[in-house]
Amino acid sequence: MDENLTYLPDSSDLASQLGEKDGIKEKLLRMCRQNKLAAASAIIIFIIILMAVLAPVIAPYGESEQDLLNRLQGPSVAHWFGTDELGRDVFTRILYGARVSLTIGILPSIIALVVGVTLGLLAGYMGGWVDYLIMRVADVMLSIPSLLLAMVVMYTLGSSTMTLFIALSMVNWASVARVVRSHTLSLKESEYVEAARSIGVSKWSIMFRHIMPNCIPSLIVLFTLNIPSAILSESSLSFLGIGVQPPQASWGLMVNQAKEFLFTTPWLCLAPCLSIMVVVLAFNFLGDGLRDVLDPYMKTQ
Amino acid sequence: MKRFLSLLLCSALAVSLLAACGGSSSQEGSSESTATETSAAETSTGSGSTSTSDDALQVAWTNDVETLDVHLTTNDYEIPLNVYDRLFEIQLNDDGSTELVNSVCEDYIVSDDGLTYSFTLRNDVYFSDGTQLTADDVAFSLIRLLALDTSVQTDFAACILGADTLIETEGYSYNDTCEGIEVVDTTHINITLAYAFAGFLYELATPAGCIYSQAAVEAAGDSFGTDYTYAIGSGPYVITSWTRESGMTLALNEYYWGETPDFTEVNIQIIPDSSTLSMMFQNGEIDILDCDLLDSAVVSATYKTDAYADKLVTANRLGTSYMALNENDENLSNVSVRKAIQMAIDRESILASIFDGDGTIPDGIYPEGLIGYTEDNQGWLEYDPEAAEQLLIDAGYTKDSNGYYFSMVIANDNDNSTSRQNVIQIIAEELQAIGINCTIENYDHATWLDMRNAGEITAYVSTWTADYNDPDNFIYTFFGTEANTLARSLNYSNTEVMERIQAARAIVDDEERLAEYAALEYQIVAEEAAWVPLYSNSHLFVLSERVESFVPHWAGYSDFYFATVERAD
Amino acid sequence: MKQTLKRILGSIPVLIGVILLIFLMLRIIPGDAVAVLLGDHVSQDTIDRLTAAMGLDKPMWQQFINYIVGLLQGDFGISYTYGTSVSEMILTAFPYTVKLTLMAIVFAWVIGLVSGIVSAINQNNLLDRLFMGLSLMGVSMPVFMTALFLQYILAFRLGWFSLTSDGSIPSMILPAIALGWNSAGSIARMTRSSLIEVMQADYIDIAKSTGLSNRAVIVGHALKNAMLPVITMMALQLSSMLSGAVITESIFAIPGIGRLATTAISNRDMPVLQGTVIFTTIIVIAGNLLADLLYSVLDPRIRKGK
Repeated sequence: MDENLTYLPDSSDLASQLGEKDGIKEKLLRMCRQNKLAAASAIIIFIIILMAVLAPVIAPYGESEQDLLNRLQGPSVAHWFGTDELGRDVFTRILYGARVSLTIGILPSIIALVVGVTLGLLAGYMGGWVDYLIMRVADVMLSIPSLLLAMVVMYTLGSSTMTLFIALSMVNWASVARVVRSHTLSLKESEYVEAARSIGVSKWSIMFRHIMPNCIPSLIVLFTLNIPSAILSESSLSFLGIGVQPPQASWGLMVNQAKEFLFTTPWLCLAPCLSIMVVVLAFNFLGDGLRDVLDPYMKTQ
Repeated sequence: MKRFLSLLLCSALAVSLLAACGGSSSQEGSSESTATETSAAETSTGSGSTSTSDDALQVAWTNDVETLDVHLTTNDYEIPLNVYDRLFEIQLNDDGSTELVNSVCEDYIVSDDGLTYSFTLRNDVYFSDGTQLTADDVAFSLIRLLALDTSVQTDFAACILGADTLIETEGYSYNDTCEGIEVVDTTHINITLAYAFAGFLYELATPAGCIYSQAAVEAAGDSFGTDYTYAIGSGPYVITSWTRESGMTLALNEYYWGETPDFTEVNIQIIPDSSTLSMMFQNGEIDILDCDLLDSAVVSATYKTDAYADKLVTANRLGTSYMALNENDENLSNVSVRKAIQMAIDRESILASIFDGDGTIPDGIYPEGLIGYTEDNQGWLEYDPEAAEQLLIDAGYTKDSNGYYFSMVIANDNDNSTSRQNVIQIIAEELQAIGINCTIENYDHATWLDMRNAGEITAYVSTWTADYNDPDNFIYTFFGTEANTLARSLNYSNTEVMERIQAARAIVDDEERLAEYAALEYQIVAEEAAWVPLYSNSHLFVLSERVESFVPHWAGYSDFYFATVERAD
Repeated sequence: MKQTLKRILGSIPVLIGVILLIFLMLRIIPGDAVAVLLGDHVSQDTIDRLTAAMGLDKPMWQQFINYIVGLLQGDFGISYTYGTSVSEMILTAFPYTVKLTLMAIVFAWVIGLVSGIVSAINQNNLLDRLFMGLSLMGVSMPVFMTALFLQYILAFRLGWFSLTSDGSIPSMILPAIALGWNSAGSIARMTRSSLIEVMQADYIDIAKSTGLSNRAVIVGHALKNAMLPVITMMALQLSSMLSGAVITESIFAIPGIGRLATTAISNRDMPVLQGTVIFTTIIVIAGNLLADLLYSVLDPRIRKGK
């Protein structure tokens, strides 16, 4: 893709919304300099992802290695975060749980992004009944409380990690589509898209090569903020017993299984709970930081 | 500014509220019963922790009952047990044995051929609306049990002459009659069986044998079982309110013929979260806590303490947990493999870790306390993973590149209790240890049941609790017919054993019958390894200061008779 | 007025879409609803008999038409498990959920706004940090953790509240706090940042220079302008509050709509799940409409512009 096409000329409406004409890279660097919290969050997220990827290497025990004689042990040298109700090492399970929880946070957000961008572009660019139809479907999705919608999906398809992906993607794509659509609407009339159209560029090419790149800053922000909400939704579904299923570990499920021991062996609950909080906060801070530099317009929207 | 805002907000919400209510109230008139609503009004102030009446026994469940009609449920026995009477009761003795005692039936005679039973009813039994319980009501209840198309309890009276016709014929009318049931007068009724069956009286003592008031059932029509005001029985209690998902209150049936119970009121709350339940108990808001809802480690840390030493009640259940293996599976059809699995499971440490050692590990199908349980069939099964693996090797299995002899899947029902899910995880891990790549697949309850009923799952772990105290209830259910073996024991194939089980039902001599049941048990479990015995865990309850003693129901459900709960002085 | 009407009419297709979507999604069921109803001790014969009796063997289109016809009369069908009218069950449960959600909203608004304002005035000092820390906790903790912790500490250990709720206002306070904390956190953060932004604007300086006190400036001018994004957010939060109510109701044993939905899932009681989801969505749509109207009342630019 031609680098120059990624950003609009100064004269367009959007240029003022996007702030200066720095590239994304410059903006990110600026964020790191100015917003220490966001920078730190990015580092934390990176470390956690690294730990999740390297779980089999780092973990001191096997994922479901049980030790029935040492169940519900407190933190010790052998078991940093103690052991759970089957004598499994909680630290190990946190590492493996990070894989599931992060995947559940990230994958549905990617699916939501792909679906949302495509439909948003179509709606905004094509207009007419296509626009009406897509946006009404988006309205439908946004009106149904997300947990209830996810419950309906889980009811229908049964509880599994796959179903969770589907449920959480269904919940999130609509807001992506809305943002992309509004960007598309304002860009559609810009001189620069007019120009592309006049020299015979196909509409698909205009949508995906010319309009979409301009939505990227907003999308990065939205993507970052969708992840923690997906992680929280997963934990709620797991609380209701319709999320990730044992013996698989996810942080949400671990909290759910440990809640019974909250009053007798509280550390069991603490580790996954703190993990969720740290990751959710980190993504939120990062998202806020990104929004400040990439998409200041969105903040007031 | 702020005031304006809040005013606006409030009015806006009020409008939305009105709109919502108005919108749906238009159809209210068309729906006939308003029972749930009136009860809502009553209990919203009455139930709950803040307004506990001193007299009421405080009980809490995690789920509400679905129906009060025992013909339509195989789960919700608790309310019918306390509201209705049966001809007989089964009494649980202190030594764990059970005994049949008369209830509404005052006396009975059995004909010499064992076919005809002549019952004499007590003449002082009245329903809670003041009308007398007559032989007509008994006949009506039994016929409804059989003839109602939606009845799920027909098995419990299927031995009565003419029952087959009633079960098979579609449609039900209040005037249906049964060939084998003859009302002599208000207190006498004769019942003739199609074949001699020793368990008949025990069947009448199950919850399915509840005696309804014909007048009340007819007056209720379709809302019988859902509208509590028609739940009119002769038992010690009568329902005074019921709000779905919130709770129910019971009061003394003023016409009750038996001894007046210590607690004349019962307040049942629905508390879905077991941790909340446990806290409420410690706060003194609940009188009886079912420890099955909590992990044994929590029970041991919180309730197996000095503070509750006198208040912890242990009940052995007439039930047993087992694993079923599908004989249609390529590997599991091999008897050596099944034997290896039996030996690979460390049942003692499962009982010790998951149930804190409370229970027994029977080696057969029948749990301790069940008629037909015999020491002869115990003690042959030892945990021995090395020998188990050797069995696989001897059977010709070799390890693949991942180090496994073969793979299998245990199907987990998502509705399983946490402790059973833990047990399944332990078993999977132990089978892994002898080289079987055992994984767990989770299904929601409906899917799981569907697949199991079709005999399509590879293996499952579950518990069977006695409906009546007889080995028949266990062995017939799992190995008695082809339909039962398909779904329960997952395609058990020995038809000769099935025929013997069917024939055993009619053996009149009890000693001979039990010997046959013991022989069958040994053949199925020890020789054919068609049943993987696991454990039979005890049922623990903690009682509050207000409760002196209480007896769990003999069948070991968490159900019990509120009337037998004794108040502490 | 015309605008209002247009908005109301505009939400009708959405409503129809919701009904259609939920109905269709719930029909792709694996598993046999009847088998579940009957539990473990039943034969296949009985199951088949019941399936026919409940009309579940009818073709899907016929079931659909029956449902739509019923819905038009305000009839949400009959519960599989309880055999009672779903509309009746919803009507019984609704007041609890309304009470809970309203109280949570009030809590979120009051606490969120107050701590947001206090934080903005005391930017970066101890009070600000404390409030923002609490807000962050609310934002990042799953609702059920908040609820369990509050229940354990405030109700069980300290005994300030009752462990469960019987529907009375005092017993609803704790559940409402648990449910509202998350929103309070977002509102506080939002209020704080928009207040700080507005306070830096020129007209505030002018207002200050006319001799108005700091407090008067904040309440009179800054807050008014800072409110708009907060209101928009509140509307969005109605939906997430109703999601959270599902969890809160289960922990505090409140027999509201959320409880109906969760038990419907475990009972596989499709008509009840269908009814509760559709009903709750209607509330959300109505709530969004109201927020729109509120917004246009508060923001003269929108009022005049359209």
